Amino acid sequence: MQSEIILAGFGGQGVLLIGKLIALAGMDDNREVTWMPAYGPEMRGGTCNCTVVVGDKKIGSPISKRPHHLIALNLPSLDKFEDEVRPGGIIVTNTSLINRRPKRDDIKLVEVPANAIAIEAGSPRAANMVALGAFAAASGLVTLEGLIDVLDKNLAKNPKLAEINRVAVSRGYELGRAGA
Amino acid sequence: MEKKLMKGCEAIGEAAICAGARLFFGYPITPQNEIPEYLSSRMPQVGGTFVQAESEVAASNMLYGASGAGKRVITSSSSPGISLMGEALSYMAGAELPAVIVSIMRAGPGLGGILPSQSDYFQATKGGGHGDYRVMVLAPETVQEAVDHTIKAFDYADKYRNPVIILADGILGQMMEPVTFPEPVRPEDLPEKPWATTGAKGRERNIVNSLYLNPDVLEERNWQLVKKYEAMREDVEFDTYHLDDEVDVMIVAYGTVARIARTAVDTMREQGMRVGLFRPVTVYPFPSDALAEAADKAGAVLTSELSTGQMLEDVKAAIAGKRPVEFFGRVGGNLMAPEEIVEQVTALMERQGRSVA
Amino acid sequence: MPTVHVEKDRCKGCELCTRVCPEQALGMSEKINAKGYFYPVAKEADKCTGCRRCVLMCPDEAIQVEVKGKRTAPPEALTGAPLHYCPGCTHGVIHSLIGDAIDHLGIREKTVGIAPVGCSVLAYNYFNVDMQQASHGRALALATGIKRGRPDLAVFTYQGDGDLASIGMAETVHAANRGEKVTAIFVNNAIYGMTGGQMAPTTLPGQITSTTRAGRDVKHAGEPIRMVELLNELQTPAYLTRVSVHDPKHILAARKAIRKAFKYQMDGVCFSLVEILSTCPTGWGQTPHDACGWVVDKMTPYFPLGDKKVPEAA
Ligand SMILES: Cc1ncc(C[n+]2csc(CCOP(=O)(O)OP(=O)(O)O)c2C)c(N)n1
Repeated sequence: MQSEIILAGFGGQGVLLIGKLIALAGMDDNREVTWMPAYGPEMRGGTCNCTVVVGDKKIGSPISKRPHHLIALNLPSLDKFEDEVRPGGIIVTNTSLINRRPKRDDIKLVEVPANAIAIEAGSPRAANMVALGAFAAASGLVTLEGLIDVLDKNLAKNPKLAEINRVAVSRGYELGRAGA
Repeated sequence: MEKKLMKGCEAIGEAAICAGARLFFGYPITPQNEIPEYLSSRMPQVGGTFVQAESEVAASNMLYGASGAGKRVITSSSSPGISLMGEALSYMAGAELPAVIVSIMRAGPGLGGILPSQSDYFQATKGGGHGDYRVMVLAPETVQEAVDHTIKAFDYADKYRNPVIILADGILGQMMEPVTFPEPVRPEDLPEKPWATTGAKGRERNIVNSLYLNPDVLEERNWQLVKKYEAMREDVEFDTYHLDDEVDVMIVAYGTVARIARTAVDTMREQGMRVGLFRPVTVYPFPSDALAEAADKAGAVLTSELSTGQMLEDVKAAIAGKRPVEFFGRVGGNLMAPEEIVEQVTALMERQGRSVA
Repeated sequence: MPTVHVEKDRCKGCELCTRVCPEQALGMSEKINAKGYFYPVAKEADKCTGCRRCVLMCPDEAIQVEVKGKRTAPPEALTGAPLHYCPGCTHGVIHSLIGDAIDHLGIREKTVGIAPVGCSVLAYNYFNVDMQQASHGRALALATGIKRGRPDLAVFTYQGDGDLASIGMAETVHAANRGEKVTAIFVNNAIYGMTGGQMAPTTLPGQITSTTRAGRDVKHAGEPIRMVELLNELQTPAYLTRVSVHDPKHILAARKAIRKAFKYQMDGVCFSLVEILSTCPTGWGQTPHDACGWVVDKMTPYFPLGDKKVPEAA
């Protein structure tokens, strides 16, 4: 089985990073992975997205016009990608910044107030981690242990931030499990 | 071996170090900035040198000089920058200098755009600079292959005393995939280059040159170069997917498009369609013989590229009219979805009067 | 009483206007605009003296001031299209000054501009005059071609430091040496903005960029190039000057220099080049306000302001 995920938000919300963490966790799990950022000058300060593919055999296209899942950290991202998600897929929305529900009723919706929870966890910048945790729980694509492990291996330089990230991912995970 | 998740551009940079290159000359241009950026800090760590040149003209002529002095050397750029390197490429081919040039294609012509494209296939395989010359061109489709090709490119460059181009599109440059690196080559273990300008101590002087004013001498040289280009056929590479048995349609694609086509082939195979993929890995020399042979077992051929039809000309020349060859391209920085290739193949089969399922 | 008009959806929230307001009449909004930015509002409108510093400083033509029924207006020589530059980048300020000079001399209908390769690659969308798009570094070669073909036209290039002083160095030196009657507007922001912050020929010693992560090492990369001083060595007459746009006072001086540069060209006197110290908050990793301070503290000592060469005829 191959899963294609689009992660999108404002530049600076850290969508590229959580995409990379999924790819890293997939790699550690001995699966095939690709991570592809949308690039261009329009990315600066504007919206930003990447596509992650996780699969069991050699991955063909690293980009997808019909992703299985979507993580949308802001409204423009939901507006842009909602229609592309395949029926039965997961859409994670950040309700701290998105004031509408997806129009689709053939998808699995996971709503998380990512910014609010991130602030509770210690930093508004960890909103991406909350969404990541929620997605992991809802999709089962990567485990919480797997994520914490890649976090520790890759983002451990600042111990305080590392702890905030761990808490944010875990809180997201709980919400994702409850919501799924 | 430890797996690392790396961007294509950075992996190419690390591969150059693995191959024993300690010199990089380049100039910023999107979408390959991560190569110079990576090497600007990595080269000093291994005792190497990174120079941000004032232009691609300068960078490529620094490459010429360093190669002439017997060093393994690499540069990278993207379409408008590679245009400016046409001069040095021609001179290096004329003077028979080995070097590796990474070309991360973006959409043209002119300033065009910065999104992925394969519209510099002609530039890489048919020239780019002036004169009768060829350079070997490798077209990776994964980050791992980009690493392997970069390392191999240095060996081919030395073997043939010729520039070698790594030809990839912006996707391969920007995407991350897991990669492993082989044992690095130590620069001091590389064989001496007896023709290089290293100081004429106890030997005849060496001259690195492409000027031959006597037409007979220049003609002779040109034919000799042709012999060398023919010899490169020994290292032709290609890849096939679902082509063991007869197929109704054979797709021909390279680089990122080959990946997209592979996804399309999987979908069509699930639907019972007889479709396969032929992927040239070296695009110069082009795997013409192998492609012609594969075409014998195919009803029709569909060439798909991110261009308005460049490799198409090599495909048609190889198949020489034996089979219908059709084309499907996307340009401007747009990519085709696998579904679009499925549609194109289906339509082609219907035109050929073949049942789709 | 003067009134401040803010076109809020043009604003990118850089706060340069509130910082230059001597009376603190301006403050930032509580709500965000359509682009997602806070924008200035005249919180203490009665304090406004109509000094127009905010108008000069705004890089996005988002502020106009009305005094006694007379309202400032953006130059006619600009199209008014929203600028794509990052928040607080002073490219926009320089655009306004060029527009002003063209209006001032009344030459809008006989001006041809040349857009370079750099952040200002889209300049053809902003100048309301005929424009040509050049390849990287070649703007002054195009300018030469245009001017030699049509000496009656006003021709200007708009180039970054990478474009004019690195890849285009040969074209720059030779156009100046031939004394082409064209105007080069040279935006020195000490970095390659467009490509994501690599070293420029004008990057300061020790300055961190994406290709000098440990800071520019002059032992390997050489010292930053002072273009105005370098060109001053040529024997051909020229108008060569360096200005800055980090505050309203300097913006006014820059305005004067740009008007002069165009005037020399139109009078057939000489080649003119105005080097303008400009900010790159994104590339430098600074707030727009701090970036203006960095121009003063770090750039002006190395790149001294003022006229370097003035033609004798003047
Ligand atoms: C031949 C060529 N080389 C490189 C580039 C990539 N490139 C685009 S803009 C730029 C430099 C921009 O820096 P600068 O001129 O200082 O202007 P800024 O973006 O800072 O305003 C480069 C190298 C190109 N487009 N063409």
